[in-house]
Amino acid sequence: MRRDSGREGLRVARLDNGLTVILREMRQVRLVSVWCWYRVGSRDERPGITGISHWVEHMNFKGTRTISKDDVTRLVELAGGTWNGYTWLDVTTYFETVQSAALEEMLRLEASRMTDCLYPEAEVERERTVVISELQGGENDPRCYLEREVGGTALQAHPYRWPTIGYLSDLRAITRDDLYRHYRTYYAPNNAVLVVAGDLEARKTLGLVRRIFGRIRRGGDPSPVRTVEPPQSGERRVRLRRPSGAVYLDFAFHAPAAPDPDFATLLVADGILAGGPSVNAWAANSGRGPGKSSRLYRALVEGDLASEVVTALVPSRHPYLYRIMPTAKEGVDPGRIEAVLLGEIDRLARGDIQARDLDRAKNQFLARYALESESVTDVAHQLGFFETIDSHQLYLDLPRRVRRVTAEDISRLARQRLDEAHRTVGILVPAQGAPPPPPAGGATGGPRP
Amino acid sequence: MMPARSVTIPARSVRLDNGLLLIARENRAARSIAARVVVEAGCAFDPPGKEGTAALLAGLLDRGAGNLSAEAIAEGFEFLGATYVARAQRDTLDIEIRLLSEHLPQILDRLRLLLVEPTFPDEEVRREKESTLTAIAEREQDTASVAEEALAAALFPAGHPYHSRRLGTRESIRGIGRDDLRSFHRARLRPAGTILVLAGDLEADRTLDRAAAVFGAWRDGGTAEPRVAVPDVRPPEAPVTIVRPIEGKTQADIALGFVGLPRRSPDLPAAMVLNNVLGEFGLGGRLGKAVRERAGLAYYAYSRFAPGLGAGPFLVRAGVASGRVTRAVGLIRRTIQALRCGVTPAEVKDSKRALSASVPRYMETNPEAAAFLADAAFYGLGIDYPDRLPAQIEAVERREVEAAAGKYLTLGRHVLVVAGPQIKEEEIR
Repeated sequence: MRRDSGREGLRVARLDNGLTVILREMRQVRLVSVWCWYRVGSRDERPGITGISHWVEHMNFKGTRTISKDDVTRLVELAGGTWNGYTWLDVTTYFETVQSAALEEMLRLEASRMTDCLYPEAEVERERTVVISELQGGENDPRCYLEREVGGTALQAHPYRWPTIGYLSDLRAITRDDLYRHYRTYYAPNNAVLVVAGDLEARKTLGLVRRIFGRIRRGGDPSPVRTVEPPQSGERRVRLRRPSGAVYLDFAFHAPAAPDPDFATLLVADGILAGGPSVNAWAANSGRGPGKSSRLYRALVEGDLASEVVTALVPSRHPYLYRIMPTAKEGVDPGRIEAVLLGEIDRLARGDIQARDLDRAKNQFLARYALESESVTDVAHQLGFFETIDSHQLYLDLPRRVRRVTAEDISRLARQRLDEAHRTVGILVPAQGAPPPPPAGGATGGPRP
Repeated sequence: MMPARSVTIPARSVRLDNGLLLIARENRAARSIAARVVVEAGCAFDPPGKEGTAALLAGLLDRGAGNLSAEAIAEGFEFLGATYVARAQRDTLDIEIRLLSEHLPQILDRLRLLLVEPTFPDEEVRREKESTLTAIAEREQDTASVAEEALAAALFPAGHPYHSRRLGTRESIRGIGRDDLRSFHRARLRPAGTILVLAGDLEADRTLDRAAAVFGAWRDGGTAEPRVAVPDVRPPEAPVTIVRPIEGKTQADIALGFVGLPRRSPDLPAAMVLNNVLGEFGLGGRLGKAVRERAGLAYYAYSRFAPGLGAGPFLVRAGVASGRVTRAVGLIRRTIQALRCGVTPAEVKDSKRALSASVPRYMETNPEAAAFLADAAFYGLGIDYPDRLPAQIEAVERREVEAAAGKYLTLGRHVLVVAGPQIKEEEIR
């Protein structure tokens, strides 16, 4: 077993079978959070089996050779715990946050899930309709259509272009054998990362992990994604017409991959534009309001054009998308929103960035980084997420990277990546009924500079 | 040195002469603090015809206060990396601020200014009203919101505090002016009854003193209104079925609800266990088993109840494809009926254990602990509630769970709403 001790309270090791283990002591409460990560997500699919990684995740809650279906969740809840799992572009993960006395039981659960899931035909069929229901529930929100169209337009070759939930036709066609093959291909210790954070003693826990996971045999090494998205060489536009309560806009730009030094630059640029994203894909925006001192809030919301502006920048292994998504106020021409929004990006490109803008954006990022490091669940998530897409060191290094970003960096990034040739603009307008009534109070104000 | 390792960290509190309750809870694990304010100014207290007032007010507290502009207030929080969120819930108006502990003094001063001296500038009021109208239009297309709002409107008669929508209606929003906001603020945002919890990297006694110095001078701006009693309602005499078609939807949201219980009800621990058995434990209790796991009908099928100052709804929710609504409603009805016939000792044991053992987790982070304590204090349950709650749950007996099922889940005295694709009402009646 190779091992290296990292920072205080952090221990990282790799077992002989290739399993990466990250342990973080946080002794303030008697809780532990156990996350088992797999390097598999929608990027590892192809048309015909889109959505399979997510469906496999569902199947892995249906019992194993040693743990009954009921006990997969029951054991967690009896330990005062919460559990869940999710699938995204690069990752599939499962977690339990429980009273620390139940740590060993949770490790056994995850070890069993890695190798022993059952996949009975009847369960596959029942889950087919559940997953389709999840897809259709999402489609009840008209923004889902816009997000899908814009994502699939901005990316034309890379497998990040299809939705993690999959296409309906594929969900209807995927077979039990497809699912089981996917499971067996990607669920192996050498393709996994196990993270435990909380009330634990690292040395003892590592021994326990070795006992429980060490016996699992190494699998084959899954093939990496080879496709690189070809450069975009002109603006792309999508216009949708669907029943909707509002006009929605979605501006997508090609974002740098998380390990790219420019990722931190875009974090700060988004801070100036919109108050900064969370880099925690699980906690997302919990507890955060809109950045009311940000440029887009002031220009679009205070400028009486949009009722809100949301941005998204999720860390990913390969270049994905940076998105700006305003909701138009009733009666506002989306063209006005576009002009003002692009004007704000142009300000960045021209270098119109004051020291205070930069400091505010960095302060916001660094404070959020600290606030999101409070809970054992968040900490275990972040270490595991970054290790799965690149390295946990990248997560630990983000504050340093953010502190070093300069106004020139942002201006260069805006010129190179947020320009016309690299953007996709999507607009969804309501399809049905009478036009919405005019806003209360009458006239709307003009855009701000 | 390792911090104390009690199951939950004790909190300290002090009530100021003006009636404000201050609570502090020390947790040195990170250099952060969560502040939570809870005021009895939720949308249940919107003046008649002015529904949406509380939600507007919540959106406007930081849009001008004292001699500070909205811009200056936003800059004040955000330059420090602090986050500020205010929201009108049903009973309460809640504010949550997350901050680095070194900024506590500035943030406390700022919080006082927002609570006590909001200015409601005309421009900001107009803008907030317009954004609310957009949000109302969006909610009218949202099957989950439509189902739950229609359910509340049918369970609670017009004029009841729980009847109306949180955001109000287009008409009520248009009719709200700056004077309405000022008088709502004067009547309901008062030190008496307000709770401020500070949880995190702080020294409890010193922090209570500091907060007392900041908030001690807050005096009622006008007539102090006593705590409002939310009247009891009689459940419907016959089942009510409502179908709300919404264009362009592939999936229907089902809400089947009963009149539940208030937070101070002695039935509360039994109702928690009942709800856990019915629609929470594992993948959604018995409901999740019947509707999702066995029938594969839905991604979500669960129950929850919302006890408040008054008896909030006890409801079952599920989202299913349009062709499966009839079958899902049938399964939901049969699951409730079966539950009324009895629960097993094993179910009760598991649910009690799951609920009581979860309490430390509810209190893990500073924002969670602050919210839990503020909620307990608001409903008069005391700041030691997190310590008492596990024993209350463990003491629940099986017959009490069954009695609660008999009392609160009476089919025939329910409201059923289906929002989404057009379906025939007679099929689900």
